[in-house]
Amino acid sequence: MSTMDLKNESFNLEKNEKETLLEIKNLKTYYPVKGGFFQRTIGNVKAVDDISFSIKKGETLGLVGESGCGKSTTGRTIIRLLKATAGEILFEGKDISKLSGKSLQAIRQDIQMVFQDPYASLNPIQMVGDIVAEPIKNFKSIGKKELKTEVMDLLQKVGLPEDAYYKYAHEFSGGQRQRIGIARALALRPKLIIADEPVSALDVSVQSQVLNLLKELQKEFDLTFLFIAHDLSVVKHMSDRIGVMYLGSMVEISGRKSLYDEPLHPYTKALVSAIPMPDPRRKANRIVLKGDVPSPLNPPTGCPFHPRCAVAMDECSKTKPILKEVKPGHQVACHLY
Amino acid sequence: MQISTSPQTSVQVKPMKSMSPWAIARRKFVKNKLAMISLFYLIIVAVVSFLAPYVTTIDITRINIGEMSLKPSSEHWLGTDKSGRDVFTRLLYGGRVSLLVGISCTFFVVVLGTIVGSIAGYFGGKIDNMMMRFTDFILNFPFLVFVIVLGTIFFGKLNGLAVLIIVISALSWGGVARIVRSKILAEKENEYILAAVSIGCSPIKVIGKHLIPNVLSTIIVQSTLLFASMIVAESGLSYLGFGVPSEIPSWGNMLSFAREPDVLQGKPWIWVPPALIITLTILSINFVGEGLKDAFNPRSRR
Ligand SMILES: Nc1ncnc2c1ncn2[C@@H]1O[C@H](COP(=O)(O)OP(=O)(O)O)[C@@H](O)[C@H]1O
Ligand SMILES: [Mg+2]
Repeated sequence: MSTMDLKNESFNLEKNEKETLLEIKNLKTYYPVKGGFFQRTIGNVKAVDDISFSIKKGETLGLVGESGCGKSTTGRTIIRLLKATAGEILFEGKDISKLSGKSLQAIRQDIQMVFQDPYASLNPIQMVGDIVAEPIKNFKSIGKKELKTEVMDLLQKVGLPEDAYYKYAHEFSGGQRQRIGIARALALRPKLIIADEPVSALDVSVQSQVLNLLKELQKEFDLTFLFIAHDLSVVKHMSDRIGVMYLGSMVEISGRKSLYDEPLHPYTKALVSAIPMPDPRRKANRIVLKGDVPSPLNPPTGCPFHPRCAVAMDECSKTKPILKEVKPGHQVACHLY
Repeated sequence: MQISTSPQTSVQVKPMKSMSPWAIARRKFVKNKLAMISLFYLIIVAVVSFLAPYVTTIDITRINIGEMSLKPSSEHWLGTDKSGRDVFTRLLYGGRVSLLVGISCTFFVVVLGTIVGSIAGYFGGKIDNMMMRFTDFILNFPFLVFVIVLGTIFFGKLNGLAVLIIVISALSWGGVARIVRSKILAEKENEYILAAVSIGCSPIKVIGKHLIPNVLSTIIVQSTLLFASMIVAESGLSYLGFGVPSEIPSWGNMLSFAREPDVLQGKPWIWVPPALIITLTILSINFVGEGLKDAFNPRSRR
């Protein structure tokens, strides 16, 4: 037991020594709701409501939560497709949440995104070669021949045949299209890739191939991932650490093993129990959540999860619990702890 | 109107590899008989009109008192008008002017409308609001009144044809702007637009390279229909006497002779040819437009 702990500690130390690549501090992203005759802002969809987390270099942070909980909004805010309403996005120690113009363009070289929809994320009238070449052309002035070699190289790296260069996206299957998207994200040799449910639109048989490709590329290019998924089973194979989101808030964040073996938050417990298990004993314990996810336009007071929580207390409807570390490396936002 | 008619149809061994969506549309269009016949007719009319000086050597400006209101004959194929000018020759020269007015107006209207519509649609918010208010204002402008007033102001000071083209263009781009805006609004929701932004494309590049090419099919279909209505506008204004200056032959000006009762009733050769050619041209343009619409529709395979 004690040797195990020691091992764990030295492992943690090693992890802690790695530099932090991305640190999110109290990030909020609201979508204004316009209405009335003058199209005034009459409310806010609080898609991301005060979340904080960090990702170390070379690490994969999985971000899970039901659809609509604000995962994509988080990813898109980090890559600056959306403007943060409040908070800081520290990339390599520098706040990028307020950048604009040239300095914003520069940061795009370091952060790239793989999108969810393999069909809508590729321009239908662009040749695959051009799709992959475009990011390079935007930032570097290199010769035609050199560019082509580089693109061919990228296509090969993501496992596409050479003649893919001259084809159009509609000639490929979903999995192959996702590979094209990955090649495009890889083209600028970014440090951080935000993968927004990259396999959720794919057949189960294809999913693992794409996940494996991402893992291989991570090793080869020393990539850091923010890996978004809507269920824990996909995230499990990819992530070092996992964050669980619920209605715009981060409810739990911890190392993978700790989260799967000892989930703390009642919501995480429900998610973990929903993972299909070969072990029949676990099946019996499945926790089914009651009710629906409330609207982020009008979130409940206190803990966002309390209306659906089986163990909710009085306090839960009054104050919003903050994320606190209850075990080394395991944070949870719940009044129970 | 740049439909190349390369014989792609004959190659049908296996499902064609690597056809761009444009090539697929072209293949579908070429198979549409009505559209192809219409296109053929339009090309003939355009070529013959623009080559008018080479087709006939008759002077269109000379008024020939000895040959007034002659019936069609071997010498004057479509007869002569009340000033003794050859109707066939005037039809050719008139086609030149009518098509020129139609094409230039369509060009300016489409360019203006596309610029306004795509900027408003892409940026949204305040920019969109302001631009669309202005578009509504233009759309609600009393077109005919403005044309008459401006025409009178500039009469004789500027080239009458240029004034007409500018005035029609300046007042007609609103519809295109609206359609382009709504198309862009829908298209920009696609993730490939987000991808374009995230790989470092500037707004101009996102609009010009990703958005407009993807709504171009709509713009092209719109411009064919617009082209038809521009020819109608020219004819209508000229018929009323507010269009192409009367000394310049145009289909509309030729049609305006029908305002005289004796011509309308007794001398059909003077007004039937321009009426017929205008009708046929508009019909053909619409058939081409329908064909293009069909060809661009991904749901109507072959
Ligand atoms: N453009 C938008 N305008 C208004 N509300 C939006 C917009 N995009 C997303 N939302 C809302 O924000 C919330 C979070 O959305 P999203 O980040 O896409 O969730 P997820 O990716 O976890 O499914 C949802 O309630 C969604 O309806
Ligand atoms: Mg999403």
